[in-house]
Amino acid sequence: MEYRNEKKGIEQNDSETSPVSFIGLVRQLLADQFVTHRYRLLAGFVALISVDFLQLSIPLLVKRAIDSLAVQEATMALLIILASTILAIAMTVVVLRFIWRMLIIGFSRYLERALRNRIFSHILAMDQYFFSNRSTGDIMAHGSNDLAAVQMACGMGMVAAVDALVLSVAAIGFMVHIHPTLTLYALLPLPFLALTTRILSAKLHHRFNHVQEEFAHLTEFARSAVVSVRLIKAYTHENSQVGDFDRLGRRYVHANIRVALIHGLLFPASTLIGNLGLLIVLVYGGRLVIDNSITIGDFAAFTTYLQMLIWPMMAVGWVANLTQRGVTALRRIHGLVTSRPILIDTSDDKAEFPVSGGFKARDLTFSYPDSSTAQLSNICFDVESGIIGIAGKTGSGKTTLCKLLIRLYPVDYQTLFYGEIDVNEIPFEQLRSQIAYVGQEPILFSDTIRANISFGIDDPSSEKIIAAARDADIHEEILGFSNGYDTIVGERGVTLSGGQRQRLALARALLYDRPVLVVDDGLSAVDTATENNIVSALRRRFSGKTVFIVSNRLKLLSMTDRILILEEGQLIDEGDHHILLQRNSFYQAMHLKQMQEDQGLSHA
Amino acid sequence: MRNFGYMEKGQNSSLSDLRLWHRILKKSEGFKVPISLAVFLSLGVTFSALSLPYLMKTGIDAYITATELPLDQRYGGLAKIGGVICLLITTGFILTFTQAVLLEWVGQSVMHRIRQQLFGHILDLDLSFLSSQPTGRLVTRLTNDVQNMYEMFTSVLVTLFNDILRLIGILVVLYLLNMQLALVMSIFVPLALVLTLVFSRLAREKFRAIRSQLSKINSFVQESVSGISIIQLFGRQHLWHEKFEALSNEYLSRTLKQIRLFAAFMPLTEFMSWLAVAMILVYGGHLVMGNDLSIGELIAYIAYMRLFFQPLRELAQKYSIVQSALASAERIFDMLDTKRQITEIEVPHHLAEARGAITFSSVGFGYEPDEPVIKQLDLDIAAGETVAVVGPTGSGKSTLISLLLRFYDPQKGTILIDGCQVKDLSLNQLRTIVGVILQDVFILDDTLLKNIVMDSGISRDEVEIILARSGMAPFIAKLEHGLDTRIGDGGRELSTGEKQLLAFARALCRDPAVLILDEATAFIDSETESILEAAIDRLEDRTSIIIAHRLSTIKRADRIVVMKDGAIVEMGTHTELLQKKAHYARLVELDTFKAV
Repeated sequence: MEYRNEKKGIEQNDSETSPVSFIGLVRQLLADQFVTHRYRLLAGFVALISVDFLQLSIPLLVKRAIDSLAVQEATMALLIILASTILAIAMTVVVLRFIWRMLIIGFSRYLERALRNRIFSHILAMDQYFFSNRSTGDIMAHGSNDLAAVQMACGMGMVAAVDALVLSVAAIGFMVHIHPTLTLYALLPLPFLALTTRILSAKLHHRFNHVQEEFAHLTEFARSAVVSVRLIKAYTHENSQVGDFDRLGRRYVHANIRVALIHGLLFPASTLIGNLGLLIVLVYGGRLVIDNSITIGDFAAFTTYLQMLIWPMMAVGWVANLTQRGVTALRRIHGLVTSRPILIDTSDDKAEFPVSGGFKARDLTFSYPDSSTAQLSNICFDVESGIIGIAGKTGSGKTTLCKLLIRLYPVDYQTLFYGEIDVNEIPFEQLRSQIAYVGQEPILFSDTIRANISFGIDDPSSEKIIAAARDADIHEEILGFSNGYDTIVGERGVTLSGGQRQRLALARALLYDRPVLVVDDGLSAVDTATENNIVSALRRRFSGKTVFIVSNRLKLLSMTDRILILEEGQLIDEGDHHILLQRNSFYQAMHLKQMQEDQGLSHA
Repeated sequence: MRNFGYMEKGQNSSLSDLRLWHRILKKSEGFKVPISLAVFLSLGVTFSALSLPYLMKTGIDAYITATELPLDQRYGGLAKIGGVICLLITTGFILTFTQAVLLEWVGQSVMHRIRQQLFGHILDLDLSFLSSQPTGRLVTRLTNDVQNMYEMFTSVLVTLFNDILRLIGILVVLYLLNMQLALVMSIFVPLALVLTLVFSRLAREKFRAIRSQLSKINSFVQESVSGISIIQLFGRQHLWHEKFEALSNEYLSRTLKQIRLFAAFMPLTEFMSWLAVAMILVYGGHLVMGNDLSIGELIAYIAYMRLFFQPLRELAQKYSIVQSALASAERIFDMLDTKRQITEIEVPHHLAEARGAITFSSVGFGYEPDEPVIKQLDLDIAAGETVAVVGPTGSGKSTLISLLLRFYDPQKGTILIDGCQVKDLSLNQLRTIVGVILQDVFILDDTLLKNIVMDSGISRDEVEIILARSGMAPFIAKLEHGLDTRIGDGGRELSTGEKQLLAFARALCRDPAVLILDEATAFIDSETESILEAAIDRLEDRTSIIIAHRLSTIKRADRIVVMKDGAIVEMGTHTELLQKKAHYARLVELDTFKAV
């Protein structure tokens, strides 16, 4: 928890100290898209506004027809002319509407893509701290919900705002033109509609969030029940589980009904208020017709305009909520794309360093930001070349050491050297291009085996890939798959065993031909005979270069040149297999246990 | 909404699958009264909505344009109609609101009922079935699928009641107003329906394409985030960025296609309504000129035609909801139709007083038929005996327990409790006779007391007596609020040993004849360990089977059973087995190196 707070502090310092203003958000995240697509937007809004005015002209034509019928001056010819004009306008409206939808809503999608790409490329540049602080789910939420909210606000939100504004101003204009006083009376209920929509939809949003929360509880409960179904059955907790699920289900139903209370009010309310206006027009406007102040056609046109106004009034509330949601989402996205990595490249970018395979540690001490205890303390070693084993109990700092070697976390100045140079002075890219790495959990992507191996190299030859696969002792098995090297790995393809996955990850690392290889317990699921082959291949490939292998397996360690033994973050001993077997108690104990296991007494 | 990385495969359910509809309807039994009320309300809603233009027409024809009437009669009539309208729209408002809330309540209650049934059913299914299903799938059934089905339930009801009723109502009014004009206007019914159907089919495809691309993007992001260190270490950011842009571009082009479809359809419905207005003007005008139609009727006609196209748009949107909901309903019913293999006999035996003698007789079992995990196993455990089962991982110790609890049925042989086959007992009685203390405990986010009592219904005093008698009182005394200490999420976190103590207390409260203890392999602090040991010591007359990992526990047992590769290789007391200098002796020797 402390870590989190601390982290937040860092983020805030790096970005802005106070929440970014709306203008600032728009300028930083959206402005470039608005500028790039300015002509598209301009054309779109011209089309949109034209549609509004064309639509408004139709009631005028209807009014002409009705008036002429009322005074019995109408002819078939006149009616046909009026009707065809209406159709011509309606057809233009169809075309123009098609255009604005394509242009403006299309724009919102272009904008969404730009933001999405920006978020992703930002993520690619982030360090381990960033990811340890955010769950994948959070990051995904930015990529789906938040983007959707921004897209809605910039698409339909913008359209509705402009549409509502133009339509209501123009409709009111026409109405005033027919009869100002009638307009005033007819419009009386409409502000209430806007207000009601605003209040109700804000409340609706709030209650709907509550429904989502309850749904999440229900989902989480179902998930944990499904996961622990064995325990539930064993302890015969079925009834109490069903009872608890029932309670949660009822709460969910309750939350939904609370939403329905608002939702059920929202739409009838708009109908009610719209109809109230109509009522006023009938009673007051009817009197005006009787008094001959307006014609019956005016009366019909007036009611049409009034109905046209209902949508913009509802839109006001809707747009306000869309905007609010869009801005909140934009703010979250802003927080994401302005977060800075803690691990910062302090080197001089242009510096070039001689290729050298050795690592040197001088009083290397390290602790993760979320803990006060040092993971590594005062580690000193000199490694020139050869295969170096790293052994120690769980939690002794083996993995941490590997992560420091590959520069995933920052180290103090003058504590870790590559060749003779402080790693802090070497650009990340340059240092990392010297090191190949195989982690504890082999990471494979759902792609072909070939792509997974060649992942690091732009255009490797097949020979090189096969050579790497042979050295990782997996070539034969790959050929055994239905599509050989083109077999897809992962959910939609073959399922690989743990050992196969590890060897595939190793093949990937071998393809590089880099001066240093770090294998963090990456052979744990490989059997002894295969392990033997792999180590001999490593020896051949890496002669004169450096290999670090974390392992607690005696067979493997005995084949290394030198073994570092860690205990509680300290380097307690080093030497080759024979020396350690004589003098190190941890090593001896490990030896004894594994000898016995080999005799087949225990498969544990 | 989380889906646990699980994506449902597309499924096409036919709208015309009557059996499915029948099953869905059957689920709403018991809600006949509220549903009939909702139907009744929707009649009222439709009536009030449709009578409004008619009243306007009456106002126009009878008073506004009725120049032959005296002025105050015309004013008065208008006011009277105004009053009627006022009453009508208020009633409409109340009815619509009531109906919406009523339908929500019915729909949610029915779904709640289905969810409960499904949940109970899933808990009841065989472990072998459940473990073959991805967690995400089961959770989706319980949550998203039920939710989808609910959407349909209300949508269909609302659509059936309101929209279709309104369409029919409008047609009826049009015919009542003027037969000839209504005949002409009727051509819009098939036209609009065809357009709507075509559109909703196309829209569904587009939506599906968008969704599947979005899920590709999501899984790509997920994969990238989990592999970020590798991507960065190997300097592949640019490649990943390119791949992402390709996905992102495809998504854009799919959304643009959807926009094009909507851009074409949405204005078309609007166009149809203007087309209707134009036709009314020409043909209706012709009728007015021939005095076959009044001005008021003409205006009313225009108003009704505008109302006519509104529900059609709604129908187009609902069509796709119904489609996906039917798929969900089908999946739910499939799950409900899944029967368990481990069944109870029709009239289960009842052991009035279980003593706890257990017999495994030539039991053979494998999770996969050709990979036996237990081979020809015979074991007799006398009532009251304490047996320690030891052996390496994978030797079949836990499977033995699973068989006794009937999580699985053995392929060969029989298992008896007090001479009665376990499959002749009801599952509930079996699992009450056999109490288990596993390494893992199911913890409720509640007080310790609630966690011990669960649904056994015993009182606080009884719990305290049991705890004192089994020597577990010090465990409780250590906690700041004693039995009222909150555990689970947001409460105190329990250590492995404490979890076992909790399971112990739980099991004892149910007073089982047979107690099974799967000893924790993880480190337990010495204080907790001594409490646990004391508790085991005081089990006395209970039959206990302990899957033991600690020498101290093993030594206490009346008998030690050594298992290897699914069979019993040795049996006897600690001293006897040590003297044999075989399997057990070597296991004991190894145990000393456990610290490494």
